[in-house]
Amino acid sequence: MNAVAAQAPVAEELARIAGSHALIKDDNLETYRVDGMVPAAVVMPESVEQVAEVLRFANAEKLVVVPAGGFTQQQTGRVPERIDVVLSTTRLAGIQHYDAGDLTIGAAAGTTLAQLDAALAANGQFLPVDVMMPERATIGGVLASAAHGPLKHGYGGVRDFCIGVTFVTGDGRVAKGGGRVVKNVAGYDLMKLMIGSYGSLGVIASANFKVFPRPGNKTGTSTFVLEFPSLREAMQFRDKLRASALTPICCEIVSPRASEYLSEKQGTAREVEEIEPGSFSMKSASANRAWQILLRATGSERVLERYRRELGGKEVRGREESELWRRVANFQAGVVDRHRNAMLMAVSLPPTAAENAIVAAEKAGLDNNLLAPTIGRVAVGAMVMAFVPLSVDPPSAMQFANAASAFRATLPRDASAVVLRCPQEAKAYFDVWGTSPTDLGLMRAVKRALDPNNILNRGRFVV
Amino acid sequence: MRFSSFIRKLKKIAGRDAVLDRSEDLMLYEYDGGIQTASPQVVFFPQTTEQVCRAVKLANEAEVAIVPRGAGTGLSGGALARQGGLVLAFSRMNRILEIDPDNQRAIVQPGVVNLDLSHAAAPYGLYFAPDPSSQKACTIGGNVANNSGGPHTLASGVTVNHVTGIEAVLPNGRVVEFGGKAADGCGYDLTGFFVGSEGTLGIATKITVKLMRLPESVATLLAIYNTIEEAANSVVAITAEGVTPAALELLDGWTLRTVEAATHAGYPMDSGAVLLIEVEGMREAVEDQAEAIRQVCRQQGAREVRRARDDHERQLLWAGRKNAFGAVGRISPSYYVQDGVIPRTRVPDTLRRIEEIGKKYSLTIGNIFHAGDGNLHPLILFDPRDADQTKRTLAAGKEILSYCVSVGGSITGEHGVGMEKNEIMGLLFSDDDLDVMQRLHDAFNPASTLNPQKMFPSTRSCREIAASPVLTQAVIEGNRPGAQV
Repeated sequence: MNAVAAQAPVAEELARIAGSHALIKDDNLETYRVDGMVPAAVVMPESVEQVAEVLRFANAEKLVVVPAGGFTQQQTGRVPERIDVVLSTTRLAGIQHYDAGDLTIGAAAGTTLAQLDAALAANGQFLPVDVMMPERATIGGVLASAAHGPLKHGYGGVRDFCIGVTFVTGDGRVAKGGGRVVKNVAGYDLMKLMIGSYGSLGVIASANFKVFPRPGNKTGTSTFVLEFPSLREAMQFRDKLRASALTPICCEIVSPRASEYLSEKQGTAREVEEIEPGSFSMKSASANRAWQILLRATGSERVLERYRRELGGKEVRGREESELWRRVANFQAGVVDRHRNAMLMAVSLPPTAAENAIVAAEKAGLDNNLLAPTIGRVAVGAMVMAFVPLSVDPPSAMQFANAASAFRATLPRDASAVVLRCPQEAKAYFDVWGTSPTDLGLMRAVKRALDPNNILNRGRFVV
Repeated sequence: MRFSSFIRKLKKIAGRDAVLDRSEDLMLYEYDGGIQTASPQVVFFPQTTEQVCRAVKLANEAEVAIVPRGAGTGLSGGALARQGGLVLAFSRMNRILEIDPDNQRAIVQPGVVNLDLSHAAAPYGLYFAPDPSSQKACTIGGNVANNSGGPHTLASGVTVNHVTGIEAVLPNGRVVEFGGKAADGCGYDLTGFFVGSEGTLGIATKITVKLMRLPESVATLLAIYNTIEEAANSVVAITAEGVTPAALELLDGWTLRTVEAATHAGYPMDSGAVLLIEVEGMREAVEDQAEAIRQVCRQQGAREVRRARDDHERQLLWAGRKNAFGAVGRISPSYYVQDGVIPRTRVPDTLRRIEEIGKKYSLTIGNIFHAGDGNLHPLILFDPRDADQTKRTLAAGKEILSYCVSVGGSITGEHGVGMEKNEIMGLLFSDDDLDVMQRLHDAFNPASTLNPQKMFPSTRSCREIAASPVLTQAVIEGNRPGAQV
C-alpha cells in the first residue's frame, strides 16, 4: 500500500475522530516534512481521548505515526521508513493546574516553554529548561528529546523534575505515571521511560513538573565571563571550581570557534559567511582565540561578592546577562542559521572525559574539512558539538559520517554522541544514534511492550 | 527438580555456609521493618554477579520464586518472600568497587551499606546524598529497589536522581547493563526506570552512583511551636518564600516527647510541635537562608528558633529524628507507619484530618515527617495481639492514605508499595495505567519468578499464583496480624 493511495480513507477517518478542522490541508502538508518525507496526513487532536482514538486506528491499520510538537527537533533520528500520519500536539495545549504554593505545575504536551514560563514568571517561579526556541519548543518535545540547556548544570535535567506524565501507547492505551506531588514512588517510573524516548514509546499528552524560585526574583544573578588562553587552562579552572564551595547555576564552556555564534551580530539578518579553505589560520588569528567559561551565580549581594572575589573576570548583569544566556541556549539554532549543512551532536560523558572529547572533535573535524565549535555543561559532562563545513563547496555526506565515526571512536564506552541534526544524505552512511551502554535487547522488549505494532516513529529511534 | 536437590546444588555455588535452610535460621528472614511477615524456604548469600546468575538459573529450573534482599529495613514487605522460595541476601556482596572523585561517582555492589559509602567518600570531600533514617543499616541495592529518600532529599533528590548506571541480572539469568558514569545516554533510560521497581524487574548487582560535594557550611535550626498548626503553616510559608532547605522535618508534640525521653536530643518537652530545618551550601548563602527561615518561623508564631552551635548539637538534633521510630518502639508493642504524600500547602488540613481519624478509631497517632516535600509518616500505635485494635489500625491507615490521594497526593513517598499497599494501587492508578505497567513488568519478568505478588493488586496477578508444586507445598505467610493488608 503506498502512502498516496492510503491518503483519502486515512484522512476521512482522522476527520471523523478529531473533526475536519483538525486536519492539515494537502497544500500545507509540505511544511510537516521530516527528512524530506511528506506525511500522508497531519492531525491535531485536542484531547487525550482523541489521541488514543487516532492511535488505535493507526495501530489497527498499521499506519506509521510521527508525534510532533513545535518541530524544533524533528531533524533528530534515522530517516523514517515511511510516514503516514503526523500527530501534532499543537492543539493539546494549556496549563492544567498550577499551585504556586506547592511549586508544581501541570500542562498539556503542546504547551510551549514560553507559555509555561509566562505563567510561572507571574509568581516569581520558573522551570529550569533553557532550550532553543522556547516560543516553539513544547513540553512534550522537551521530554521526548530530553532536551536541556545551560541550567542543567545547577538544576539537573527534565528527568530530575518531571513528576508525572500521561501518555498514549502505540496501541492507543492512555496511561499515567507519577502524579502531582514532588515525592512519589508508587508504581513504575514511567516518566523516565518517556524522557529521551523520542516519541517511540508513546505520545505524551501532558506532564507535571516541580518548579523552582526564579533566579533574580528575590535575589540577584550575575554572570562571570572567564577567559583562558588554552583548553587545558579552562579545564584546570573547571576542576578547581568543582572542588570549591561555589555553587553556580550554570557553568558553560565556549570554545573560541563557538563564541562566534554567540556574538552580537548573531540572530540579525547577517550575510552567510562561510570560512574559506586555506584562510583558516588567518581567520582564527583575527577571531577570538580565548576559551571561555561562563559562570552564572544567584544569591544575595554578599553571595555574589564572594564570586567576584574568588573568580574575577568580566561580570555581566541585567539585560546583557539574559541576552548572553539566550544566545547560549540558541547556539544550535545559531549554527544552523549560518550553516544549513552543519552537523550537531549532543555528547554525554563522564566529566573527566570532556577535555579529550573536545580535542578529539576538533581533530576529527579538521581531518574531514570541518570546524568543531563546542559549548556545553562541561562540569557535568553534557556538551553540544557542531561540525561545520570549512570550505565553500558543499560538503560530502561522507565527511560528516567519517568525522562522527572518528570522534566517537575516541570516547569512553559509557559515553554517547547523538547526532541531533545533519544533512539528510549523510544519514545513509552512519548511525545517528551511535552506541549505547544500555542493553539493546531489553530496549527492544520495552518498545514491543508499549508499541507492539511498531507504528511510532518506525525506524527512526535506536530500536 | 526436587527441592532437596535444588538446595544441594545451591550449596555447590558458593559453599555450604552461603546457604541457610533450617527453619530457625529462616525465621530471621521472615521480617522486614514493617508489620508483615512471610518466610522463605532457603536463603542464599552470593558474592559475585556470576553466583547470582547461577542461583537464578537454578531457581528457574526448580521453579522456585526469587526475592532479592538487602538489609531488610524496608517497610512495605518488598524483600519478603511472599510466595516462599529463595531469598538472595546481599550482605556478602558489599564491596565498594571504585570511588572516582574526579567524576564524582562510585561503583558499588548492592550490599554496601548506605552510610558506609558516605564514610568512604568523605576523605574526598564527597558523600552519597540519599539518607534514609535506616542509613546505618540499609543497603544501596535496597535504596535502588525502593528509590529511597530521607530527610536530605528535599534539596538534593531521591535515589533515582543519584544513580547513573546499573548492572542487573534478569529473571532469566542474563546479565544486562544500563548507563554508566555518564549522566545521560542514548536510548531508553532503563537506569531511571529500574530504580524504584522494587525488585520486580531484575536484580541489581553493580550500581554506579553520583557523589555530591560536602557542603562548606551547614545550619541546623529547631523552630519550637506551641501548636502544630503554626508549625504546619510555617512549612507552607517557607516553601512560598522560595527557600529550599536541605531538610525540613516536623515532629508533633507527642512524638517529640517520646523521642526526647529516649534520646535526650534537647527537644522541648512542653511544645506542640517542632520543625527541624537544615540549610547547607556556601557559607554566605547558608547565613541568608537561615535568617530568612528564622524570620518566617517567627512570623508564623514560633516561640523560639534555636540554632545548633556546633556539630555535636547538630548530630544530637538529628539523632532524635533518625531514632524516632525506635523511640516509639519503646512505648508501644508495635506501630504501623504510613508513607502518604500530599501537596505541601495541604499539610495543615491533613494533620487535622489525621487527628480526626485517630479519634474515630480510638488510636494514638504520632506525626513525624518530611514536611518540606509533603511526605507524611503518621505512626499508628497498636498491639498486634489485640485483633480488634489491629483491624482499626489498618482501617485508619487506609483512611489516611485515601485522604492523601483525595487532595492530589500519593500512597507512598519513599517506602514503596511492596505487599503492603499493592491492593490499594487502584486509588492512584486506573486499570489501563496498571495494564501498561504490567506489560513493562512482563517484558523483564514474564513468568513473575522474581519477587512475585508485589506492587500489583492481586486481582490482576491471579495467573502467577498458579505456581509450581515446590512453591505451594511450603508457603508460610501471614502468621502475624497485618499480613493481609
